[in-house]
Amino acid sequence: MTRALRGDQGLATLETTFAITMLVPLLFAVLEFGSALERWLAQDAATVQAARYAGELGGDAPELRAFLAEQLRVAGIDSDRVSVEVAPSRVGWREPVRVSLSSAFPVSIPFLFSTSVPLRSSAISRGEVNR
Amino acid sequence: MRWLQDDRGTALVLTLILAPMLLVALAGVLQLGALRVAAARVRAAADLAALVAVNDQDDAELARSGTLRLAADAALVAREYFARELELSAPLLDGTTEDIAAAADVVAYPSAPSYDARTGARYDRPTVRIAADVPVRTPIFGALVLRPVTVLHVIAVSSPR
Repeated sequence: MTRALRGDQGLATLETTFAITMLVPLLFAVLEFGSALERWLAQDAATVQAARYAGELGGDAPELRAFLAEQLRVAGIDSDRVSVEVAPSRVGWREPVRVSLSSAFPVSIPFLFSTSVPLRSSAISRGEVNR
Repeated sequence: MRWLQDDRGTALVLTLILAPMLLVALAGVLQLGALRVAAARVRAAADLAALVAVNDQDDAELARSGTLRLAADAALVAREYFARELELSAPLLDGTTEDIAAAADVVAYPSAPSYDARTGARYDRPTVRIAADVPVRTPIFGALVLRPVTVLHVIAVSSPR
């Protein structure tokens, strides 16, 4: 037993194991966070554009949904996995309208965990339709 | 001094030194990313508020002379909507959205041409300009002996087409 402890055979393997179990999760954490951040920023940008358009349309409308789906598609986001809320669904002249988007971003860190992070974006605009 | 030449335990020492350094680097990256999101949101808030205010045209003047002129309450609308937009990112901010919006330098130039004393810009159309200092919470920077609050300077200018 004593000889086994003093011997340095396998030391490189041990060091490599330590390094990999520490560095791989760190590397993936940075990569996954970067991806989530990029997705969040893209979703935020689409939300702002959608709020602006919702103000022009005077609330929720099929054109808004189509516009939003296109904005999300261009940003590389599957619009089927994004829930959209427009409140109120119909607004008058100079009334505030809020567009909210919510989606889940899957995060997987080797050796640690896998989960999904909720990404929420909201923006408010003002109705421009004089009904 | 034989222990200096003995390489047993080097993996443990390296791990103990490197692990905190790498975790600090990771925390810094996470905080920088969060700050980037906050900056984008604050910029979008100011842009959208300025846009909303510019849409607030003086309808009577437009009907009478056909010229675009901002409504009298354009600056108030810009400030109100800036606060509303910031409210959506309230957990990221250090301070109430009302206070931040109230402290913002919001100016409406109802007719053109006009000159912006703050930026030196000349506007050829009616314009709303918002300049604000928005304090954002950066707790991880604070834990790393940096500033726990980072102030973002934002300027948004909007004119009707």
